[in-house]
Amino acid sequence: MMKPFVLVEGGLKKYRGLCSTCDNSITCTFPRDPNLPVMECEEFQGETISPEVTMSIVEKHEDEQGKLISILEDMQTRYGYLPESALKVVAEGTGQSLVDVYGVATFYKAFSLKPRGKHLISACLGTACHVRNAPRVVEEFERQLRLKPGEMTPDKQFTLETVNCLGACALGPIVVVDGHYFSQVDTPQVKRIIQRAKSGLDKTDVKADEKIFPVKVRCPHCNRSLMDSSHPLDGNPSIRVTASFGTAHGALWLSSLYGSYTVESEDEIPRDTVLNFFCPHCHAELLGAANCVECGAPMIPMIVKEGGMVKICSRQGCKGHLLDLEGVNW
Amino acid sequence: MEKLKTLSDFKELKERLDAGREPDRPTIIIPAGTCGQASGANDLIRAAKREIIARELSEKVRLVITGCHGFCQMEPSVLVEPARTFYPRVDTKGMARIVEAVAQGKVVEELLFLDPATGKRIEKQDDMPFFKKQARTILARSERVDPIRLYHYFESGGYSSLVKVLEKGNRAWVIEEIKASGLRGRGGAGFPTGLKWELLAKQTNGKGKFLVCNADEGDPGAYMDRSVLEGNPHSIIEGMIIGAYGTGATEGVVYVRTEYPLAIKHLRIALRQAREFGLLGENILGSGFSFDIQLVKGAGAFVCGEETALMRSVEGKMGEPRQRPPFPTERGIQGKPTAINNVETWANVPIIFTEGAKAFAKVGTKGNSGTKIFSLVGKVQNTGLVEVPMGITIGEIVQEIGAGPSGKAPIKAVQTGGPSGGCIPAAKFSLPIDYESLTQAGSIMGSGGMIVMDERTCMVDVAKYFTNFLKDESCGKCFTCRKGTQRMWEILDDISRGKGTLAHLDLLQELGEVVKDTTMCQLGQTAPNPVLSTLKYFRDEYLEHIQKKRCPAGVCKDLILYSISQKCTGCLACIKSCPSEAITGKAKEVHVIDAKKCIKCGACLAVCKYDAVVVT
Amino acid sequence: MIKLTINGLEVSVEKGTTLLEAAQFLGFPIPTLCHMEGLSPYGACRLCVVEIGEGPRAKLVSSCTYPVEEGLKVRTASSRVVRARKMVLELLLASCPQSKVIQDLASAHEVRQQRFRQEHEDCILCGLCVRMCEEQMMAKAIGFRGRGKNRSLGTPFDIKSEVCRLCGGCIYVCPACQLRCTYTDPEKAICGGCANLSPPCLEKEKFDDMMCYMAPCVACEIKKD
Repeated sequence: MMKPFVLVEGGLKKYRGLCSTCDNSITCTFPRDPNLPVMECEEFQGETISPEVTMSIVEKHEDEQGKLISILEDMQTRYGYLPESALKVVAEGTGQSLVDVYGVATFYKAFSLKPRGKHLISACLGTACHVRNAPRVVEEFERQLRLKPGEMTPDKQFTLETVNCLGACALGPIVVVDGHYFSQVDTPQVKRIIQRAKSGLDKTDVKADEKIFPVKVRCPHCNRSLMDSSHPLDGNPSIRVTASFGTAHGALWLSSLYGSYTVESEDEIPRDTVLNFFCPHCHAELLGAANCVECGAPMIPMIVKEGGMVKICSRQGCKGHLLDLEGVNW
Repeated sequence: MEKLKTLSDFKELKERLDAGREPDRPTIIIPAGTCGQASGANDLIRAAKREIIARELSEKVRLVITGCHGFCQMEPSVLVEPARTFYPRVDTKGMARIVEAVAQGKVVEELLFLDPATGKRIEKQDDMPFFKKQARTILARSERVDPIRLYHYFESGGYSSLVKVLEKGNRAWVIEEIKASGLRGRGGAGFPTGLKWELLAKQTNGKGKFLVCNADEGDPGAYMDRSVLEGNPHSIIEGMIIGAYGTGATEGVVYVRTEYPLAIKHLRIALRQAREFGLLGENILGSGFSFDIQLVKGAGAFVCGEETALMRSVEGKMGEPRQRPPFPTERGIQGKPTAINNVETWANVPIIFTEGAKAFAKVGTKGNSGTKIFSLVGKVQNTGLVEVPMGITIGEIVQEIGAGPSGKAPIKAVQTGGPSGGCIPAAKFSLPIDYESLTQAGSIMGSGGMIVMDERTCMVDVAKYFTNFLKDESCGKCFTCRKGTQRMWEILDDISRGKGTLAHLDLLQELGEVVKDTTMCQLGQTAPNPVLSTLKYFRDEYLEHIQKKRCPAGVCKDLILYSISQKCTGCLACIKSCPSEAITGKAKEVHVIDAKKCIKCGACLAVCKYDAVVVT
Repeated sequence: MIKLTINGLEVSVEKGTTLLEAAQFLGFPIPTLCHMEGLSPYGACRLCVVEIGEGPRAKLVSSCTYPVEEGLKVRTASSRVVRARKMVLELLLASCPQSKVIQDLASAHEVRQQRFRQEHEDCILCGLCVRMCEEQMMAKAIGFRGRGKNRSLGTPFDIKSEVCRLCGGCIYVCPACQLRCTYTDPEKAICGGCANLSPPCLEKEKFDDMMCYMAPCVACEIKKD
């Protein structure tokens, strides 16, 4: 049964047609007719594929050496893959011929011109892993997921790929799923790994996890406690600060459990906004010298009562954090 | 923190740091490189922080998180300074006990390393057989610094070499020192670094010069560069700044492969810190010389480790190599003179200036000075990164540092140099490790991967594996490389399936030699090495596959059979694990494998506790 | 001027000349496949290899890309070179046997059989069409993509190119399909019919009908089976 798709170029006309990218999806089964304009299946848009977003990525790398590869990498992170329309925009934006851009996009293994599943499973096939039976592990993944490396499951949950050496050779065979490393994987473990990936690898059980423990923090300027026992989070007193963005400002409560990312605020804060933080007592701005290594936003420092400093990223939704026991921040 | 504008600013800062040092303060060091994190070092770190905070020990006990130390299979491990106590494979409960013990100046006996050879516990890291014969010049530095804290690097002597060089103010002297030290490129070819820098320094067209750090460690099985990048990124930066001063380079590039996310993260932080402090950028420390380094990520192409392909990749094009001459020092990135060196080469540069070129040249043998880091992996007991002086024999590394085979089967061969290298049989283990003797034996030094193989490794399978790797990674431009690797793989595949003929062996030899002769870049020129070296030293295995249609190591799937012996206790474990339901049998009865259904996946072999699964 | 020795004969040429040009100047025959006058040298086919240097450091290089050097000693037909050329031709025959150019080269070098698994590819990735399109026609409509065995040639995304001017130049230079366009009258080699063609590596299905009145190309014949 054919689904109506949205024409990306030239407006929002609903159009019966052919998807140029997801030819291993159960909805798109027709070969591409080269005479029809570029169309992309709306199901796959991780982030909406738009020429504006693509151009913003192109402009970000304006002054760089060999920027084409960095641009494509950023695009792959934003969209999940390299869509045809976006590659054409890149060619125009950088002034390079489409042939060159396409050549680079297909030459390097890290780039994918087809959409990828929600979870990326990378199995290492380096020499040390090979000698420890890694090919059999890959075959087991192929059997369990019913696909070959480079393909995506029909429910768009998983993509399997093989990598030539991740550099953790003493612990082979290695399988990385969504950034989590699994070491010394043998064939019986494959099923479990897939299960864990389905249920979410980033989930932490706040109560049971030993890695998570409470800290008591103070303002680095006035040294007054920032703890708020009247507003508990995760079963412990929360940390209360004043946060602002644009013209809005209000109270923000953070979980005092180091490792938990629970946050509550008076007003709705859009994801990815960089906030300014202030001490609710002395109103001084809590600003550190360092920037978040994940996203580049400024890190916010707070002194730990027992010694050391906690720093959290000021971007809403970013999980960058650091617990420093030395007190020196460079 | 303020920018350091002059050399005296640096010296003042160093004095302040030295005044505040407490070398006797007990320090808990946890290695948390990629290996460490993969084995759970993050849990240990949290546990340690939790204990220190709960016991209010942050003034008394110091916690330092570093990159890889090298004994990867014992990770997550803990090292306690200054006593040098080593605790292998610690869990969170053990961590709590260790914190308590360190605070009281004691040692936790039961958690110390147990030497399987002697049955005794060893307290100090330097007494362990893995570490004893090593000469850990570079890796020892990774033990002392937290890679994202610049002041650790300053405290342990970092950037003093740069200050020394800038104070002396003589660019030619820098090159003379490198030449005198005898440093050779650690990327594999062993080209004298001093000579390369001299060639670059001679170029004077005024449009700028490039210095590149080749961190595209594509060799599977090699990860020394990763550990240095993750554990001590500032050493590379310092080396490059010194190099730029000596050669007159104006721009620097570090080309890191995208499969090393932690290395990229630490490098980004280190570069930012160096710029903030005025160690990179305009007028470095008031010397009048300017240099900056940019990080360029790779995108998954082994061929981009080759010099000319790397330069094309940096320029944002497809990574196809080109012919040399012209060499990169004449015409490189954007047509400007470029010198490319490996990560380990750069890491050696600050050491040369700290110790002095003569002292550096004393380590190792004639023509092969200094140390080399190898990644010892495979069927050996102690796997990890080992740093040894040049000239040590293969046998010493495998038998003493590696403590011999990890399984029951004896060690058959060692593969060095990655896919460009070859296999060296056990009979030749008395060979010293240096560039020349390895090349004569039919292999190459390469970037330092050393894979140990035992009697259960099939050499035909090894040759097939490497040829497959090269076939995928070949850029495809040269006809002989692209088709040659493909055809070699086809022949090896036929042999491994029992369809080989004797004529195939001659064809393989001839094809391998022609591919070696006619291809343009070193990927193609060294691609036949695994095939040719295994043909030379392990011809009998090939013959067995061809004439008797047997795989003596029990690896090649089409030639082996899985069966269950009388040792079977009928525990049903293999029946549950078999994905193709090929095993039948009742409880307490010997199980049977149906050879027609068996897909030889190895699951039953993995779960059987009674050693009853036999592969013939 | 740079002096070098080729097969024992001294020759003096300008800086920037390639070994191939220098050898041809002296009249020594060197087979080539991916080389063409007027297009930049590429060095993909490896047929033009010659031996340079002496003793243990002697090596083979592709003469079409290697620039002349002072005092270089070159041999265009040493035993190493001849063995290499024969193997390269065997590999070529094993991949693309239907090309008359390759067949002629093979018989000229006494290669009569190949010992590998037979394939029938219609592109040897010599890059002549790419260079023709980019350098002579200034269009850059086709290019290489992919790597290793997935390396192929074509327009981006395999769709009709917006910059292709249908000049037929790519078909003209291709060695794998050399004698395709031979109408009875040689002057009409590119006739009105194939002006509507796009490169054969793209539209293989359409090609059948177009060729009905021209001498059929073996590649298409094999494809039909």
